[in-house]
Amino acid sequence: MLAPLLALLGVFVVWPLVHAAYISFYTWSFYESPVFVGLGNYLDVLTDHEFVGAVLRGLAFSAMVVPAQVAVAFVFAVLVKSLSRRMAAFMKVTIYIPAVISEVIAAIVFSLIYTHRGGLLNWFLALLGKQEDTAWLGESGTALAAVAVPAVWLGVGVASLIMLAGLLDIPETYYECASLDGAGPWTKMFRITLPLMKNIILFLLVTGFAASLQFLVLPLVMTQGGPVDSTTLPNLFIFRHFTNDLYIGYSIAAALLLFAVLGAVSAVIFRLVRSEKAMDG
Amino acid sequence: MRVIRLTACLTGAAVLALGCGPGADEQPGGRTEITLWQQKFTDQEDAWYKKAVAAYNKAQNKVVLKHQIVPADAWDQKMKAAQAAGKAPDLYTLNYNKAPGFARTGQIQALDPLIPAAKWTGLQEPVLRSVEYKGRKYAYPMLVEPSAVLFYRKDLFAKAGLDPNRPPATWAELISYGKRLTTRDVSGVVTAGNAIDMAWSTWGMQWNAASHLPISDDWAAPRASDPAYRQLLQVYQTLYQQGIMPKQPLAPYADANPIGQGKAAMMVCGSWAASVLLSDYPQLVPNIAAAALPSFDGDSAKPTATLGGWTLVVDAKSKHAQPAADAISWLLAGDTKLLVDYFKTTKFSKYSPRAAVADAVKNDPAAAENPWAKIIEDQVVARAKPEPTYDWAISLAFGKAIEKALQGKDIDAALKAADAEIKEFIAKNDLAGQGS
Repeated sequence: MLAPLLALLGVFVVWPLVHAAYISFYTWSFYESPVFVGLGNYLDVLTDHEFVGAVLRGLAFSAMVVPAQVAVAFVFAVLVKSLSRRMAAFMKVTIYIPAVISEVIAAIVFSLIYTHRGGLLNWFLALLGKQEDTAWLGESGTALAAVAVPAVWLGVGVASLIMLAGLLDIPETYYECASLDGAGPWTKMFRITLPLMKNIILFLLVTGFAASLQFLVLPLVMTQGGPVDSTTLPNLFIFRHFTNDLYIGYSIAAALLLFAVLGAVSAVIFRLVRSEKAMDG
Repeated sequence: MRVIRLTACLTGAAVLALGCGPGADEQPGGRTEITLWQQKFTDQEDAWYKKAVAAYNKAQNKVVLKHQIVPADAWDQKMKAAQAAGKAPDLYTLNYNKAPGFARTGQIQALDPLIPAAKWTGLQEPVLRSVEYKGRKYAYPMLVEPSAVLFYRKDLFAKAGLDPNRPPATWAELISYGKRLTTRDVSGVVTAGNAIDMAWSTWGMQWNAASHLPISDDWAAPRASDPAYRQLLQVYQTLYQQGIMPKQPLAPYADANPIGQGKAAMMVCGSWAASVLLSDYPQLVPNIAAAALPSFDGDSAKPTATLGGWTLVVDAKSKHAQPAADAISWLLAGDTKLLVDYFKTTKFSKYSPRAAVADAVKNDPAAAENPWAKIIEDQVVARAKPEPTYDWAISLAFGKAIEKALQGKDIDAALKAADAEIKEFIAKNDLAGQGS
């Protein structure tokens, strides 16, 4: 029974991974015979301060995107749960729309919003009394946060629906009992809702983290990684090396090291937010 | 059992199809199919390529040349994917600065054994040298175009009380003019605004500022920390910090539209901008003038631009190298009329490195259509240097240093960082001694 599954896993996951690991020990191009360099590519990557910078920047980007996404999704889900059936359906469709918009379109739309002169955001801030226009994508201090906003926007739809499904799974009787015991809304939230949503939140944190660390199109289209590499996220760094380098070994080693970083941080999140069986299960 | 029978039938059909039909590269009628990938240029240039390929296919009956236009931003990934799958095109467009690197890493074939010696005569020597590697020629030059020309709006100069017939002669003047020309809707100066664009568009200014590039000629040592580069980075820092150039790029450097759209009073762009302005903004042409960029020490004989441009090359794994080289020969080294038509199509904004074509272009009455061609040829092309041929990483390291200056960071520290990055790249890639 397991054979087809194992075969598919072998062909599409294990073999490419093993092959990638194998070729990462070589300096090679599509035109020359590969030359074995041992751990040379890995050493090059690990001693490259730009790679380390890109990974740290990726973690900072995730720290901006994931908590914001989970918080907005939670607030939205609580709001939708309290609405009438028809209104809830409308809100669910509305929040899900960004999820079906391509990253390229989102990047272009937000670039227009952030335009230095004549952009929507600066126009709006001017109405509120801000005198100077800000070059949101042109200043190294604001560019990463400016790219994080569409990243949150793109992911919040799916996160909200998952969060809502988790909320609807909590039996109403728990809240009724808590009300009889005199619990207020905050007590219910911290004693019932959040503990029972732990697995959902853990899932959103891990998948959100993995997705946000791997954003490529947003920084590529919006800033090309600049200014001064302030938006060069790990995948953009690897992509640039893959397309510009005359040899491929470096980018394969960098991709595998990023894979290790993703795995390690996901493990840390699992450890910090222990996954448990649902209390009512 | 039914599944086995069906599989056998399908396999048999596939074998028959493969055995009886023409080969993968063979067209019905015995013509060999070869592919040409052309990077997307202007619509007019793309149309010329289509026309030229159709004419080639009509002119002979041995080969069918299939032409594909690939957008510039998708080129690298598409090419890498094709190379990985063993499906790279037989011939493709390549710019000069990449040719020696591609030759060194075995990605393209030497063309001198495939294209007769007579077809190489009449090409400018410096241009030929830029496509050579270890004494062999790896690319056939099609055109050269200077990377940096100053276009400016005469009407806006007059409005700001500046003499429209006197472009800025020094960088201090350019900054001061820029300040006077900047308004809320118009940038005084529009030029490259990010590390990638600055990495290549400033090659000429790098020569101008320090009389060398940021790596030694033999590629053995970095030279980015030369204090002579300070003035170049200082100019960019001043332009950006004082709001004379846009805080966010209005368009990529190669895009000439900002001046046509009235968003720039002065714009630094390649000579190709002339083609866009003449085609898309004809009403503005009388109000636009062109000049060479200022020289840092006031010596107008120094280079302010590099001569870039495009060549055609044959992929190293092409199974049809000779037909591919024949196609290049026919397109670029054959009838001069075909190429004159190209330069006409591009409004004489580019220059031929082939004497016969250059002469024919010069004598074409339509050349007067481009009012800036002569100034650009005399003041920019004549003093320009060929594009550097070292790895892109070297250029990018210097581009990042300029970008750091732009963002207000310490100029000396930025140059030192570029120097260290280039030094590390030389060591990791064994570049020492590979330069000319």
